Parts: sequence; structure tokens; C-alpha cells
Amino acid sequence: MPHLVDMASVIRSKNAGPLAISFDLMFPTEAAYSQAARSPSLTPTALSSVFDRPAGDIQVTHYSSALAIKITMPRSVVSGSPGDRDVYGAQQHLPLLGLHI
Amino acid sequence: MNAVGKLLSRRPSSLRVLSASGQLGYGIPEKALQAGLARRPDFIGCDMGSIDPGPAYLGSGVMATSPAVTRKDLALVIKAARSLDVPLVLGTAGTSGAGPHLDATLEMIRSIAQDEGLHFRMASIRADIPVERVAKALAANQLAALGGTLPVSLADLQSCTHIVGQMGCEPFDRALHLDPDIIIAGRACDTAIFAAIPQRLSFDMANVMHMAKIIECTSICCEPGGRDAMLATLNASGFELESMNPDRKATPLSVAAHSLYEQADPLTFTEPDGTLSVENARYTAIDNRRTHVTGATWEHASQCTIKVEGSAPVGHRAVLLAATADPRFIQALRDLLREVETTTRALVPGKYDIFPRLYGLDGVVAWPAAGAAPPREVFVLVEVIAPDQGLALAAAKTFKQFLLHQGFPRRLCTGGNLAFPFTPPELAAGPAYRFAVYHVMPVDEHETLFPVHLENV
Repeated sequence: MPHLVDMASVIRSKNAGPLAISFDLMFPTEAAYSQAARSPSLTPTALSSVFDRPAGDIQVTHYSSALAIKITMPRSVVSGSPGDRDVYGAQQHLPLLGLHI
Repeated sequence: MNAVGKLLSRRPSSLRVLSASGQLGYGIPEKALQAGLARRPDFIGCDMGSIDPGPAYLGSGVMATSPAVTRKDLALVIKAARSLDVPLVLGTAGTSGAGPHLDATLEMIRSIAQDEGLHFRMASIRADIPVERVAKALAANQLAALGGTLPVSLADLQSCTHIVGQMGCEPFDRALHLDPDIIIAGRACDTAIFAAIPQRLSFDMANVMHMAKIIECTSICCEPGGRDAMLATLNASGFELESMNPDRKATPLSVAAHSLYEQADPLTFTEPDGTLSVENARYTAIDNRRTHVTGATWEHASQCTIKVEGSAPVGHRAVLLAATADPRFIQALRDLLREVETTTRALVPGKYDIFPRLYGLDGVVAWPAAGAAPPREVFVLVEVIAPDQGLALAAAKTFKQFLLHQGFPRRLCTGGNLAFPFTPPELAAGPAYRFAVYHVMPVDEHETLFPVHLENV
């Protein structure tokens, strides 16, 4: 099983407003996208253990026009509140890199 | 007749829209801007703000961008629009679009006009929402947190230094009626900056909003993405996109992928005036650096909703900056931080919060488990939030001294546990803020909430 990091052309995170964080997985080919879109590793249930969050908080959207998958969940700390680690949310993608697809 | 009146009376069947900057105030790449002006756009739009940089700017009323660079950018786009005698539309003035941000931006514009000998008619739109209005929505159970959880009470609302509402097209449309040369808005939807004029010219609203959604970020929708000016040409068949930097290609894939950016859902976008769906949008290459787009759908909302954003002070912040390269100290560090916090609280009484971040261990991501190998160096950042700056600094100073000399089993580095890059290593960071409101609420009274003011500059 390949790692996500070896299949995707972009794996990024960014706030979707200060209360939510969103992860974009973009793929270079239709084949890579389809393989990832079918993978049980990229379902809310599987991702709940990766992010230590309830599956019900995690929304996964397949976006075939852009060969991309989006994962969105509420932030655990509101952006910029005391104790936040990443105001823009742009460096939270690391836990996804090693996923087996 | 002024710039808006001239454009509206021409009623062009093909409208060239130039997006000059995705966030004005960080420097506008001039070559692409000039290339865009050479294409004779029908109007120029610029976004000036964002919620991304966190609650400090909305809370304090200060811009995130440097006043000097902001002024330079404003001068560039004002001179550009005046030289072509076309409307200039600016949204989310001064980073957050609250009263102080808008006023500071208006002051800059007047001063630029004076220095450059320019005269124009300017419509400004305020976006400050009275706390009583948000409290009314709260009491009516009409306030919904957007994208996550943010409990809010009347006391939370009252603690905000500024509350703004993110306006849609309606206030811009009212400004257009006054025939200005320049429209500048407080907190506004990025889309409204680019959608209000074409909406008034009766272009198809689905294409208009889809275009606006893409070009507000300038050339980020290209491959490679960047901050260069972006041109959209809107007509009855849809719209064409072209970066004004020849090295940036707007391809069907890069444009479609832009829908993902900073959005919770890449297919559906809720705006104050309705909902845009790009699920059935078609992206077609015109050549290797231009793409034609059509096929989005727009559903007009029966009830207008706006997002309200409020930022509240939470005290004063002090930060301690230190680092270590000692492997045994790194191994013991988490436990030692707890010991030192206990010591600090015993020696510096008062109500404050301490948030350590250990870069190399868990500064960026709150990892559930430790990494396989310990890092060679760790950067220690300790944030203290206290009701006043003196207490925050006092706690940081004591924390620093005890962490420096904290003993632990098998300690080698008895000279000190920490490397300080400079002194003082504990810094006063001023007032700290939090987003206390990030909610949507239904509104009808646009004219009261987003008043338009006209002035001759």
C-alpha cells in the first residue's frame, strides 16, 4: 500500500475561518485520485484516529474536477486564542503524510 | 458623471475586471499591475483584509500591514484607476474593516490625493455592528457559530472591542447609486468587491459570483500560484481568466482547484445574498494560460444572513524565548516545565495562564505520542497571559530563572539548562485578544448596519 505522501502532489492545511481547519489532498492523475477516493484510510472513521477527533466532526468531500479530496473539521483551539499553536493552520498536515492508501 | 456612472451607462456586453491585490498592504507586484492596466479594465478591485491573521487586528483596531507599504499600494491602485477613469472598489479596509481600520485607510487616501493632486468622489461603507444588534440575535437564538463551536454570551459580546459584519453586495450597490469614483468598504465579502458592479450590469449572477470567488485572490488560482494581478473577462457565455504575469498559467485544473482554498466545502459557498454551487462548473482551456469557466449555479437567499466577527481582550501577553541542546534536559523537559510552573505560581501569586510550546517536540502539532528519536535542539517558547502586563512579565521572568537552574537526575549542564538568543529573553507582547464572535445572523436592515458616506476628495 503506497503512502499518501508518495501519491499526492499537494497535502496542505489551512483555516477555513477561525473555527475550522481544512486539509486539501490534490493528486497529479485521475488514477491516483480515484485510488485515494476509494481508500478506506480517508473516511471520517479512519481519520478520527489520525486526528484524535470524533468521526462525526470530520467531513470528507470528493472533488473530482480538481482531482482533490477535502477534509474539514472544527479546530480544537480557536485561531489566535491563547495557547493556539498555529494561527493560520498552515502546518497541521503532517499527520496525513504517512497514511497508507 | 463620475467613473461608476460612466461605466454603468456604457453597459458593456463584455466586462474586463482587474483584481489588483488579494490583500493590499504587502506590496503589489507592479509589472503585472501595469500589464493589467494596459488591457483597459472596466474596473479595478482590491481586497484589503482577512480574518486569517488572527484576532489581534480586529481587537486592537490596528492594521496587520505596514502603514508605509499600505499607503504605497493604495497610491498605486488609486492612480491606476484615476488614470483610466474607471471605478476602484476596495473591501475590508485596513485588515479587519472595523471603524479604526476604515478611518485610517480613508485618512491615507485623502493624504495620497493631496500629494498627487487628485480629486475624486469617494463612497465609504462602515461595517461596525452595534453590540445591541448582535445581542438581539443572541436573545432570539439566531446566532450560529460558523464552522465549529464558539459559545457566546451577552458578556462575551460586551467584552468585544470591535464587532464587524461582513457585508455582501447590497451596501456596495447602494454606493454605486451615488456615482462615486472610488468605493471603500469596511468588513466585506471578498466576492462583493468584484460582484456588485457586474450584478448591477445584469450579468448572470452564477458566473459573476464564481468569477468573484476566484479573482479576489489574484493569481493564486494559477500554476504556479502567485500574487500578481488577475484579469477576468465576463460575458454572456461565462468568464475567462488570465494572469497578468505571463509565467502564471490559469489552467482548468488550477482554476477548479482554487475552490478548495480556505473553504470548508469546495463545491458550495454561502454568501450573504445566496448560495453558489460550482458542482457542475465547466473549465475549458482557451490556450495554455487562459481558462474559460461557466456552469456554476446561484440560488438567491430568501433571507439575507451576514457573518459577524468580534474580538475581545483576554489580558496581556508576555513571552519567554529560550532554547536547549542538552539531551538529558530535553528528555526531562515536559516534567520540568510542570515543576517550574508550580514554583512560579508559588512565588508569583495571581491569576494567569502559562502555555509552553516546545519546538522540536510539540510546538506546531499537539502530537498524541512522542516522536521516535529526540531532536538535537529544542526551542522553548513560554506564553503567559495575565490581567496586566506587569504580572505577565513577572511570571515569565521567574519561570525563566527557575527553568534555567532547575535540577534533575543525571544532570550534566549545571551551568544552566537554557541558551538565550538575547536578553531580555522575556518580552512584553502587549494586549492579547481572542475571537469571541464568529457567527452568522439573519439581517434585513442593511442601510442601518452598513451606512454609506459620500465625500469629495
